Amino acid sequence: MASSETNLSYIDVNSVMHRIYPLVKLIWVFVVAVGLFFYKEPISGAIMFLLVLFMALVVSRIPFGALISSFKLIFGLGIILMIFHFFADPGNVIYRFGPLTITDGGLQVGPVFFFRLSVVVLASFILIWTTDTRDLMFSLTKAGIPYRYAFAVFLALRFLPLEQKEVEAVKAAHSIRGRAAKSGLIDRFKLWQRYMFTVLINGLRKAEMTATALECRAFGAYPDRTYVKTVTFHAVDLILILIFIVIQAGLIYAEGIM
Amino acid sequence: MQTTIDKQILAEVQNVTYTHWNQEEPTLRNVSLQIETGTLNVLVGPSGSGKSTLCDLFNGVIPHLYGGELDGQVFVDGLNTREIEVKNLASHVGRVFQDPEIMFAMLYVEDEIAFGPENLRLDADIIRETVEEMLIQTDLVERRSNLVWNLSGGQVQKLGLAAVLAMRPKMIVLDEPTSNLDPVATRNVHELVLSLRNEGITVLYVTRELDDFLAEADQLLVMDDGEIVAAGDPKQVLKERGGYLADKLGVWLPETCEIGIALQEIGRLGDESIPITVAETVDLLDNVGVLDGNFRTSGKSETESNTLSGNRNAEILVLAKDLHYTYPGGVEALKGISLEIQEGEWLMIVGRNGAGKSTLARMLVGLTKPKDNALTMFDVDARKWKVQDLANLIGLVFQNPEHQFLTDTVEEEIGYSLLAQGITEPDEVEARTDDLLDMLGLSKVADVHPFALSAGLKRRLGVATMLVGEPKILLVDEPTYGQDKEMTFTLMALMKEINARGVAVVMITHDMRLVQEYAERVVVMSNGLILFDGPSSGLFDQEEVLTQSNLRRTLLHDIVNELKRRGVDVSENIRSTGDLIHYLNIDEEGN
Repeated sequence: MASSETNLSYIDVNSVMHRIYPLVKLIWVFVVAVGLFFYKEPISGAIMFLLVLFMALVVSRIPFGALISSFKLIFGLGIILMIFHFFADPGNVIYRFGPLTITDGGLQVGPVFFFRLSVVVLASFILIWTTDTRDLMFSLTKAGIPYRYAFAVFLALRFLPLEQKEVEAVKAAHSIRGRAAKSGLIDRFKLWQRYMFTVLINGLRKAEMTATALECRAFGAYPDRTYVKTVTFHAVDLILILIFIVIQAGLIYAEGIM
Repeated sequence: MQTTIDKQILAEVQNVTYTHWNQEEPTLRNVSLQIETGTLNVLVGPSGSGKSTLCDLFNGVIPHLYGGELDGQVFVDGLNTREIEVKNLASHVGRVFQDPEIMFAMLYVEDEIAFGPENLRLDADIIRETVEEMLIQTDLVERRSNLVWNLSGGQVQKLGLAAVLAMRPKMIVLDEPTSNLDPVATRNVHELVLSLRNEGITVLYVTRELDDFLAEADQLLVMDDGEIVAAGDPKQVLKERGGYLADKLGVWLPETCEIGIALQEIGRLGDESIPITVAETVDLLDNVGVLDGNFRTSGKSETESNTLSGNRNAEILVLAKDLHYTYPGGVEALKGISLEIQEGEWLMIVGRNGAGKSTLARMLVGLTKPKDNALTMFDVDARKWKVQDLANLIGLVFQNPEHQFLTDTVEEEIGYSLLAQGITEPDEVEARTDDLLDMLGLSKVADVHPFALSAGLKRRLGVATMLVGEPKILLVDEPTYGQDKEMTFTLMALMKEINARGVAVVMITHDMRLVQEYAERVVVMSNGLILFDGPSSGLFDQEEVLTQSNLRRTLLHDIVNELKRRGVDVSENIRSTGDLIHYLNIDEEGN
């Protein structure tokens, strides 16, 4: 079937980013995330945003289409958070919608939160798109993490696209049930609850069966295991982290003297 | 206890009674059985008889992972499963799950095969060799770099087998591996299983439907209500308990056996055994003198079914002309199909896994839109229909009906559909809900949560919700998947009833016996194209169409052909073993 519709899995193109040691990429996501929590100005977040976007489209050679089709997932929550801040933050009132007011403080803080969330999510997507999850597991065990735990991370990523498929199947099945005439916010919320219920129940069932199935395949029989395919670490990969640390430090410094 | 295990016996279950931790009644009751080394053991029984639970005994999933109360002993390869953990039994017993996708842990086919041996800490070079060997054995060499979720149903089963075999177990346990496969993929899995047995691997094979694969089995085990009710040489078990198996337990027996059992019931089998292959069946019919003439014509005439399907004046509900569809990722699912669906007709769509059947179904309910005006539905261009509006005219029962449920009780489920129709008047809601529940035999479970229903009832509730809008077409995707014989017949009878009310029924299926017995018109899809569209009686002679679409003739059709070849005049339209038995005068009143 059309599994190419899923956008939460490895994208098989050959890029610089694909060749970087998985653990280095994971650390890179953390570096990006930590920096974002220091910025107070939207402009710093925006610069970071453009940089990470550049990393996605140019350095990782992620097709623009893949980015667009995951738009909601990557930016959805960030946008909601930003709008929430527009209204919720204290400051001088700039605009009124009945009882709701937009404040200047909100307009300043909103984008900061948008960038915080969206950039971290986008960076994580780059990790998922450019890393064969098995290699990530391998590099985690090399770093001394017991393979049972490393594998938990791996499985979570492995099941994301399947869960996404499940959500789509449930959505489709629900939509042909027809919709009751009133489709206000409350009804929509109820419908969402329902998706989550079905997806969760099936997810839990699947997780239980998978856990059993893994054990049936000798998973965890010994404290270590063989790896047929390995990835090798090159010190030069660390440049990625260095560059970003320098940029982040620069931005934080610039905010300080402004 | 170790001494009781003979050199010949690989696995033994001794007086096992097992109760799940959350149930009061035991699922297995005093089960004892022996499995000899290097044999093929087939286990059958109705849904809920404890087959899967029995499977869980051999690699220690019971009691180690599922808990519960286990009495008795289970030995495999000289080991007591109580004393050895599941992960350490893995290299002795391999378990292939019903849906192998849930056991896949890696992204790519070859990595998946390596996963088990890697856990066993085998040497990397040895693992590489094993992977190569398994890829060849399961015919997956070309798929080695495929993502595991980019495989056909048959390939998924083969990969499941490969992944387990790579750990070099002495015994493998397969739980209904072919229930969602097309006939040729099923055949391929059977052949693979046989070749494994011939290499000395012991196999326990659980299934709901038997075909002539049974002829190769060394032992047939029958379960009912937690007990082993018969065990032994397949022919002997069939001879002693065949009628009971088919009629009381609702096990799908091959058509060949059904004929043998019919002969037995009228006392004409004598010392002969129940036939399994087509040749055996026809020989038997010959030997007992059934073929010496005096055939009875069946009550129903052939013209009756012809008038039904050939109604020229019927309204055309769906019209597709050169319909194409390509998924955003580039997969071309429909490559130009032309199809008409008429008011009140009965149509079955068959074809290999991935032929485009489900894509077509999605299009017909508006979930997927065509790119041009190639599809007209109810006289309106398909692109103009909204899913919700179309839902009133055409209902789709999904393969997994759970996906469609929206409320917390069966009754509310119907109520929701009524609400979607704008029906809110409490009296009318109640009356119509009661009507529907009654018609579908769901009244007793009106207050039950939809997710808590049995598989058969879930399917029926799926049908019920789709009937609320009084649609003109009812589409059903694989309705008999995972259902035993009785449930299948109940469901088919229901479909007939719905059809008789003037609703066009379009059914997607893999089950060629159902096609032969029920279809008035059959459409064969393969690789995004329609290869055949016509009366089902014409399909089985189209060798090329069958091959291209991974379909097989039914054993019944082969029997009839063989009879004709031997000069027996079978002019009747034989659609089921019942028809043939009646025609040959071997039902009760015939003698």
